[in-house]
Amino acid sequence: MGAVAASALLSGCATVERGSIPVVDASGSVYDRQEGRGSAAVSRPPVAAAPQAPASAQDSGVVVMVPGGSANGAPIRAYPSSGGAGSVTPIVSPPIAATSGGGTGYSSVPSVPGGVASRSAAASGSLAADEQLDGPVLALLTTAQREQGGGNLESAASSLERAQRIAPREPQVLYRLAEVRLAQGDAAQAEQLARRALTYASGRPALQGSLWNLIAQARERQGDAAGAAQARERARVNL
Amino acid sequence: MTRTRSPQSHSPRRFGALRSWLGWTVKLSLVGLVVLAGFAVYLDAVVQEKFSGKRWTLPAKVYARPLELFSGLKLSKQDFLTELDALGYRREAVAGPGSAAVSGNTVELHTRGFRFYEGDEPARAIRVRFSGDYVAGLSGADGGDLAVVRMEPLLIGGLYPAHNEDRILVQRNELPPYLVETLVAVEDREFFSHFGVSPKSIARALWVNAAAGGVVQGGSTLTQQLVKNFYLSNERSLVRKATEAMMAVLLELHYDKDEILEAYLNEVFLGQDGNRAVHGFGLASQYFFGQPLAELQLHQVALLVGMVKGPTYYNPRRNPERALTRRNLVLDLLAEQGVLDAEQAAAAKQKPLGVTSRGSLANSSHPAFLDLVKRQLREDYQEADLTEEGLRIFTSFDPILQNKAEAAVHDTFKRIGKGGDPVEASMVVSNPETGEVLALLGSRQPRFAGFNRALDAVRPIGSLIKPAIYLTALERPSQYTLTSWLADVPFSVKGQDGQVWRPENYDHQAHGDIYLYQGLVNSYNLSTAKLGLELGVPNVLKTLARLGVDREWPAYPSMLLGAGALTPMEVSSMYLTIASGGFNTPLRGIRSVLAANGEPLKRYPFQIQQRFDPGAIYLLQNAMQRVMREGTARSVYNQLPRSLNLAGKTGTTNDSRDSWFAGFSQDLLAVVWLGRDDNGKTPLTGATGALRVWTDFMVKANPLPLDMPVPDNIIQAWVDARSGQGSEQGCPSAVQMPYIRGSEPPPGGACGLPQQAPVGNVQDVIENVQDVMDWVRDWSN
Repeated sequence: MGAVAASALLSGCATVERGSIPVVDASGSVYDRQEGRGSAAVSRPPVAAAPQAPASAQDSGVVVMVPGGSANGAPIRAYPSSGGAGSVTPIVSPPIAATSGGGTGYSSVPSVPGGVASRSAAASGSLAADEQLDGPVLALLTTAQREQGGGNLESAASSLERAQRIAPREPQVLYRLAEVRLAQGDAAQAEQLARRALTYASGRPALQGSLWNLIAQARERQGDAAGAAQARERARVNL
Repeated sequence: MTRTRSPQSHSPRRFGALRSWLGWTVKLSLVGLVVLAGFAVYLDAVVQEKFSGKRWTLPAKVYARPLELFSGLKLSKQDFLTELDALGYRREAVAGPGSAAVSGNTVELHTRGFRFYEGDEPARAIRVRFSGDYVAGLSGADGGDLAVVRMEPLLIGGLYPAHNEDRILVQRNELPPYLVETLVAVEDREFFSHFGVSPKSIARALWVNAAAGGVVQGGSTLTQQLVKNFYLSNERSLVRKATEAMMAVLLELHYDKDEILEAYLNEVFLGQDGNRAVHGFGLASQYFFGQPLAELQLHQVALLVGMVKGPTYYNPRRNPERALTRRNLVLDLLAEQGVLDAEQAAAAKQKPLGVTSRGSLANSSHPAFLDLVKRQLREDYQEADLTEEGLRIFTSFDPILQNKAEAAVHDTFKRIGKGGDPVEASMVVSNPETGEVLALLGSRQPRFAGFNRALDAVRPIGSLIKPAIYLTALERPSQYTLTSWLADVPFSVKGQDGQVWRPENYDHQAHGDIYLYQGLVNSYNLSTAKLGLELGVPNVLKTLARLGVDREWPAYPSMLLGAGALTPMEVSSMYLTIASGGFNTPLRGIRSVLAANGEPLKRYPFQIQQRFDPGAIYLLQNAMQRVMREGTARSVYNQLPRSLNLAGKTGTTNDSRDSWFAGFSQDLLAVVWLGRDDNGKTPLTGATGALRVWTDFMVKANPLPLDMPVPDNIIQAWVDARSGQGSEQGCPSAVQMPYIRGSEPPPGGACGLPQQAPVGNVQDVIENVQDVMDWVRDWSN
C-alpha cells in the first residue's frame, strides 16, 4: 500500500518538469481570497464578488499573514462513514403479528393476521406496492382512516400525530397528515407537510408522485396556478 | 271601700289575662311560622341552587405525555418501572388496574383506562418484554401481540385558583369496596334511614356522652356535616345549628341518598398540604397513597374514614401512632357491626398504614414546565376558566427526560465544585422532529418556582450565532462551500460612530488560511466575523429571523460574534430549524385540552414551515458534527460512543459570563445555559460548563444518532485533504466531502495534491510521502 502510494506520488511528480510547476492560486495573497469568493477550483476565474460589507467597513491596518499555501491550515479529516447516507429508515420493529382493531381496514394495505402487512397493489392510488407499514404506525393510520371516514378530522389528525411521534421519518404518515389538513381547508400546512414528507421519500417514486400531486392541489387552493403546474410536472416525472 | 277578693272576681281577670297571653302567643307563633316558612323557602332555594349547579370550582389538571408502548420503542425496563412507580402502580400479582409484576425482562401489568382527545383508551392487562434499551415485545392477556398501547398520563400539576382548593371528583361507581359501609358505620349509622336529622343518633350521642362524662360521640348526620361544610361555616351557635338542621332536611327532600353521599365524599376535608386544602376522598387517596380511590384496600379505606373526625389530629404522616390506633378502632367497629368478620378485621389491622412518604399532589414538582403551560394557555383562556373549570391539559412533558436533565445539572455542578456555587443554570429539551418541549429547567433548584431562566433569562448568545453566519454562506454554493478558504487573520472595522471594532480569537492567535468549516468547528472569531461582514450583517440577521428568532437586532458587526441576547427557549427555536432539516416549527408544550367531563375542547396541532434549502442545512449539520468530532466540543466523545452522530455549537461570552451549549441528535435537542444572575464572571466556558451538563444528559438519555436524509442536491466529492482541490478516490490524501451539486471543486491535476516546490532530491520526496502516510493512518483510525 505504501509502495503503491509512493510510486503514484513519484510518478505524479515525475510528470512535472522542473521549473515548470505552475504557481497555484492556493498560495495567493489574502486579498485574492477575499475578493469574489470563487469556487475552490484553481482554474476558474473568481465568480461575481460577494455582496460588499457595509459601507462603514474599512480595511484599515490589515496585517497580512503570509499563508504557506495549504500547508498552514489543518487538513480535512475523514471519518468512517456511519450512516448519513441513508434515506428513510423503516420503523425498527421485528415483524409482528396482527394489528389490534384493524376492523375497517386501511384502504391499500390489508392487515394480515399473524404476519407483516402484505404488499398490495395500490387500491386508492395513495400508496404504491412498495409501501409497507406494520405495527403501531399501521394501527394508528387505520384508526385515523376510521376517524376521518366518520367526519372527525381533528381526531384523525390527532391519531396521525401519534403515529408521527412513533415514526417521525415515515413519509406516509406525513402524507396522510397533509391530506387531512387539506380536507380541513389548511392548504398552506398541507403543502408544508408534503414537502417534509418528500425529504424522507427518496427512492420511493410512487409516493413522491402522490406527494407532488398533493402539493399541486394545495397550491391551487392557495391561488398559485403556476406553482401547481410545476408540482404536477414533478409528479408526472416521478410516476 | 274594700274590695272583696272573691275568686270569681279574679278568675275572669286572670282568665282574661291568660286569654290575651294566649292570643299574643298564637299571633306571635303565626308570625313566627310565617317567618320560619319564609326562611325555609329561602334555605330551600339556597340548597337547590348550589347543589344542582356547578358544585365546585375545580382547578385545571396538567398531565405529562402518555407513554405509548409498542415493540421497538426505545425505553429501558428501568425507565418504564420509574414511570409505573410514579403512576402509583402496586407491585403485586396482576389482578386489576394499577398492578404490575416484574419477572426478569418482562413486566406484566394492568393499565388503567383514560380518556384522551380522540376518545377512551381502555384499561387492559398487558405484558411488556424488554431487550437492552428497547421494548422487544408487547402482548395482551391472551398472549396475542398488540400493536400499540397508550398508558395513562402522569399528573404533573394543576392550575389553582386563589382559594387553593383542589379535588379529584369521584362518582358513585368509582368507589372502592367498604368505603360506604365504613363511612356509615363510623359517622352516621342511620344514614340510609333518616330524613336529614336523626333523633335516634342524637339520643344515642346524649346517652354515650353522659355515660362517658364528656363529648365522645356526635349526633350529626352525614347530611348535616355536608351542609355545614358545603354551605355554612364552622361557627357553632344555636342559630347555626338550627339552620343546619333545616337545610339538612330540605336537602334530603330534594335529593336522594346516593347524590348526597357522593357530594359528601367529594366535600369532606381530609388534610392540608402547605397552603392547599385536600378535600374529598378522591384527592385524599392520591395525596396519602398515590393511588386512585377505586384501588384502595380495606385498611386504607378504614384509615381515611377514621381521619374524617380530625384530619390534622389523625394525620398519618405527622401522627402515625394516633392514626394507626384510630384506623384499628374503625376496623373493630366494623367487625362489631357485622360489616366485617373477625378474620378480615384482624388481617387488616396487621397491615401498616401504607401512606407514601411525601404527598404526591405534584403541584410544584415541575414549576418551570408548568409555567410554560400557563403562559401558552393564557393566550387562549381566561384565568377563571383555567383555574375553576376543571380543564384537563395534555402536554408533551416527559418526566423521564426531566429527571435525567435535573440529574445532569446536579451531577455536573457537584463535579465543578465550589467554583460553581454562584452559577445558575437552565435547560430546554425538545424533540426536533415534532417541535415539542419535553423537559424544562428554570434554575438549579428544579422544585423552586422562581425566576424561570429557560423562558425569561435574556443573555448574550456569543458563538451560538455562528451557525447562522455559515448557513448564510452555504446558501450561496456558487460562492461558498465547506472547503472554501477563509483567512483567519486580524482585522479591524470602523463603525459609523467612529469606534473601531477589532475582534480577536479566543486563544488570541490568528490561524491563517483555513477551510470554511474549520472556522465554525473551532469557533474562530476572526474568520467568522470577516465572513459575516462579507455576507453583510443584515443578511445574517435575516437568516436568523428565518431560523425563528423574533428579536429585532441592530446590524452592528458585533452581532456577528453574539452580542445579541436570547433566552434558552429562543435558542432552542433557532437550533430546532437546523436540527429538523430546515423546517421551522413553533415550540409547544401542550397537545390538547379537554373539559372536565372529557369533552374535547382544543388541540394544538403540529405545524411546520420549510425555511431553508435542505442542501444548505445538510452542509451546516456536517460542519456542526465536526464541532463534536474535532472542534470545541470534542470532549463529548470521551463519554459518548463515537458511533453516535451528534451536532452542536459551544458558546462563551466575554469573561465567560455565559456558558452555552446547543446540540442535537436525531430525536433530542438540548440547549443548556450556565451563568450568574448578576452577570458576573464565571470560571466556566461553553465547553467546560454547559457542554458538560449537555454531555451528562445525553449519556443518560441515550439518544438516536443524527441521521438527516441526504438531500437530492447533495453529492459527495473527493478532494485533497490539504489543498481542498478536486481529487479522486484512491489518491493518497483524498477524502470525501459533501457539496451542493455543481459547487464541488473540479478535479485538479495530479490527485489535486498541493503543489510542491521543485523537489531537490529523493530524500525530500520520501519524507513528504512519509507525512502523507501518517495522515492516511490517522484517518483510518
